[in-house]
Amino acid sequence: MIKINNLSKIFRTDLIETHALRQINLQVNEGEFAALTGPSGSGKSTLLNVLGTLESFDQGDYLLDGRSVKGLSDRELSALRNEKIGFIFQGFNLIKDFSLFDNIELPLRYRGFSAAERKRRVEQALETVGLAARRDYHPSQLSGGQQQRVAIARAIAGEPRILLADEPTGNLDSLMARQVMELLEKINQQGCTILMVTHDPDQARRANRHIQIVDGQLNDATLYEPLGYEPLVAGA
Amino acid sequence: MDALLHNLKLSWHSIKRAPLPYALTLLILSLGLGTFFSNATLYYWMNRDPIPEKSATLFMARLNSVPGDCTDCFEPPRVMSYMDMQKMSGSGITSAEAAMFSSDAYAKTVENQQATPSQVELRITQRDFFKLFNVPFLHGEAWPDNKARMEVVISKNTALKFFSRTDVVGQEMLIDDKLYKVIGVLNDWAMLPRLYDVNGRRSAEPAEDIYIPLETAYDLAIQSNTQNSYFDVDWDGNMATYPQMARNNFANQLQFWVQLDSPEKVQQYQQFLKNLVADEKAAGRHQRPEGNKLDNILNVQKALRATNDQLDAFALVASLFLLVCVVNAGHLSLNRYMANQYEFSLRRALGASRWQLQSQILADVLLSSALAFAAALFFAQLGLWTINSLLPGTRALASWDWQMLGVMALFVLLISYLVTLYPALKTSFSPLNQQLKQ
Repeated sequence: MIKINNLSKIFRTDLIETHALRQINLQVNEGEFAALTGPSGSGKSTLLNVLGTLESFDQGDYLLDGRSVKGLSDRELSALRNEKIGFIFQGFNLIKDFSLFDNIELPLRYRGFSAAERKRRVEQALETVGLAARRDYHPSQLSGGQQQRVAIARAIAGEPRILLADEPTGNLDSLMARQVMELLEKINQQGCTILMVTHDPDQARRANRHIQIVDGQLNDATLYEPLGYEPLVAGA
Repeated sequence: MDALLHNLKLSWHSIKRAPLPYALTLLILSLGLGTFFSNATLYYWMNRDPIPEKSATLFMARLNSVPGDCTDCFEPPRVMSYMDMQKMSGSGITSAEAAMFSSDAYAKTVENQQATPSQVELRITQRDFFKLFNVPFLHGEAWPDNKARMEVVISKNTALKFFSRTDVVGQEMLIDDKLYKVIGVLNDWAMLPRLYDVNGRRSAEPAEDIYIPLETAYDLAIQSNTQNSYFDVDWDGNMATYPQMARNNFANQLQFWVQLDSPEKVQQYQQFLKNLVADEKAAGRHQRPEGNKLDNILNVQKALRATNDQLDAFALVASLFLLVCVVNAGHLSLNRYMANQYEFSLRRALGASRWQLQSQILADVLLSSALAFAAALFFAQLGLWTINSLLPGTRALASWDWQMLGVMALFVLLISYLVTLYPALKTSFSPLNQQLKQ
């Protein structure tokens, strides 16, 4: 699904160069749920941004679903993000003036789906995250956990090949964090690859693969058996 | 259409999020545009071709004919004498020709003699005036010839004002206590600018109310209210002798217009004037150097040095003011977009291409343009009202036709896009990751 070879990323200012990623090699296979951990400033978010094509890289190559993203035009990169990648952000990044429906529909519009298809997918995604009854609510009317579930619905509505989650439970209390993790596991079980940045060792242990990054370099191959919890909510 | 509506909805949300900065941006932009439009409206009306179907064939003819020897006086006077006009008429070369001047009087109807008379603007002219400038008749017709007669042609508004109806052919009017019969009523007609009245600097004013035959005016001692000059005239001021004096001396108040339908005719008429001057010189009457002028109607303002310098200066000021407003509105717009940068980055992350963001920004421009257009028209009307109050001579120039409105709307669209262009590009090309990480 994801394959990067000798990938490096350097941030430059007038005075200094910071090597955020140093010749990283990584392969994430289809259906994996991988946790990416590391101390602050280690480069995990940068790596996630590069994988999400939100950030360019300086050296090496990056193949997403077998296709190199190097040299792709803005239009091609946008289409790639829209069709193959779903983003889940720590701060949810919902548009507060929009209803849940409108928020989830937004990336589907960029893909050019018909109104009927958009409606079908939004309703299905809302059903998956358990918020079907609140489609006309606005984000401010929801709890943090519910907002993150809306963000997950937005990410999965386009049926992407991979979900990139940047500390998806970082702003949530433990109860809500568990709900979100269960939801991600459920989505993963349905075949969607997930790469999740987290600070929480417990959450990292719930993934079936743990990748550590320190000073822009990877320490991989720490495989865990998924922990598994008792579901908090029936069907969640 | 669905995408456009969606984008307009997004724009509306964006406005609601920060209405005051948006209103301020619009206010500044509209003020600049409104001021510019006020000026552009005047400029357009003053500089347009008022009669495009035949402007190439209409000329104002002048002779450098003033008594007294002056070897370096090459510029003919703006107005001419009755004698010279007579000599320039009847050449057989023109397809229409008319002498004219403007005047004013007080008028009332015969039926309502007790009423206070109303002031009316007069055009003293000859039969071909209506043909020269394609003046449309609603009822009746022009005089059959150029002889003196107590008959007038009146405008539609004058008919409505004095008779409350338009079909008043055969009705009588008292103009400065002289009785005239109405023989024609003009249809709606507004030649703007009235380039046949440039010498009086009244080309921006509405057309006259009443048209009186030239010979009648001379008989009744009606004089020009804009320009008349008496050269080498020994007249005691007795109005009874005015008709003879004005016809036989250099009592200059006339301008003379001709229609020449081809370049050959123009050349022939120029030659005709040249021959006329030669004959006059031979008779000892034309002492100045030859300085005949045959100015096309579109060059008359320049030829008579009657271009409006105030308007030009105002055009410059209005353009600079618009520039300042655009820069300021652009700055405010940049702030507004930067405040919304997070949302643009989010859309990019969710798969919107830069072009798709541009279409969103175009919807912003469309909405801003519509609002700015309405506000700019309001400010432009305010500006025109002020200018018309300060310069009453411009009061006929305050209207807009559909074509002008269309051009103005396009201009607003272009300026709104310019104001949005830099913020839009900056927003579209900003790094995505910084905005999304909270």
